[in-house]
Amino acid sequence: MDTRALDIIRGYKGRPIRVMEVCGTHTHAIFKFGIRNILPDNIKLISGPGCPVCVTETGFIDEAIYLAMEKGVTITTFGDLVRVPGTEMNLAQARAKGASLKIVYTPLDAVQYAKDHPDEKVAFLSVGFETTVPAACLAVKKAKEWGVSNFSLLTANKTMDEAYRVLKGSADAFLYPGHVSAISGMGILRELRDEGISGVVCGFTADEILTALAIIVRKIEKGEPFAENAYPRVVADDGAPIARKLIAETMQPCEAAWRGIGSIPGSGLELNSEYEEFDARKVYNVPEMHGRPNKACRCGDVLMGRIKPHECPVFGKVCTPEHPIGACMVSSEGTCSAYYKYDLG
Amino acid sequence: MCVGLPAKIVSMKNGTAVVDATGARREISTELLDNVEPGDFVMVHAGIAIAKITADDQEETKNLMDALEA
Repeated sequence: MDTRALDIIRGYKGRPIRVMEVCGTHTHAIFKFGIRNILPDNIKLISGPGCPVCVTETGFIDEAIYLAMEKGVTITTFGDLVRVPGTEMNLAQARAKGASLKIVYTPLDAVQYAKDHPDEKVAFLSVGFETTVPAACLAVKKAKEWGVSNFSLLTANKTMDEAYRVLKGSADAFLYPGHVSAISGMGILRELRDEGISGVVCGFTADEILTALAIIVRKIEKGEPFAENAYPRVVADDGAPIARKLIAETMQPCEAAWRGIGSIPGSGLELNSEYEEFDARKVYNVPEMHGRPNKACRCGDVLMGRIKPHECPVFGKVCTPEHPIGACMVSSEGTCSAYYKYDLG
Repeated sequence: MCVGLPAKIVSMKNGTAVVDATGARREISTELLDNVEPGDFVMVHAGIAIAKITADDQEETKNLMDALEA
């Protein structure tokens, strides 16, 4: 067994290091492999806002319920969103009141469903970062090619670049989400390095996470900002150019509201003018909805790494995976869900 | 929704592929990659192959540690 990475991490004697794992899948992997338990006291891991369901605002769920209940639209969605609380109810509760809701594995299934059911109005709830945006773009492109006019997207897509800038100072280095970088490539991370933001692109096995942490230790010892790729078997230096071209053809940057962070200019994606006939907000004149999350929920502070989940007054008491109060407990990638499963479970 | 699934391409046809992910088979889109063929491993997100996997994790981490200690 190659223990070199672990030896570097455990041998670190320098100043305290805070590393933010941005991606929710990393948070779960780190718990699953017990990595927090083997780190020395001077290396701390902080969970960041990289779960797309968790950073989606309450008002987005309200918009989806409005489409279903007021406009008679069939909502197609990834399963994670179904129990995320809206202001009055979640989508599962809306279904119990008559809303039409279909769980899909991919937006391509949603556009196929719309094609097969021309008498239904069908909207797909398009949340997700760079990893899932191309699938939504491909779906809407097929809708246009196939003339499926009863299909639309309700978008809350986000990109990570601007979020990294907002998070600057929250940690000494980021474990960058491997699959976001598989799309966007290393160029943007080098730009961030030049702005003083450091991090290592990381895979999802125990060896890959430990290797990335060892690289962070060595680079911090050298004292220079860095942008390294510790997941080259999946992340090409130029990312996925065809996917980025598709995104640029169909979507445009917009301001986006992140739960816990606030509004970040240029951090969202919406359909561009060429595809606005598939924009559910425009098609169905959805009124602006701000949403009111449960006041006891502190998902926002958890997402920014300001508190650990067990410091939230409702965590593990009234907020559990069976009865979630906040999105971080609902999503399989959420930080609260990870702490509940591995720390309390 | 945001969890990547590594899978092996079994067959390909018109921009789609049947993949095997630890025994489960399903159809995915390969329209965003231009260099894959049956037998390759790909990373799948939301029904779409977003990247070709070019090595296994043991080989990758060994190479990275060799480079770090060089």
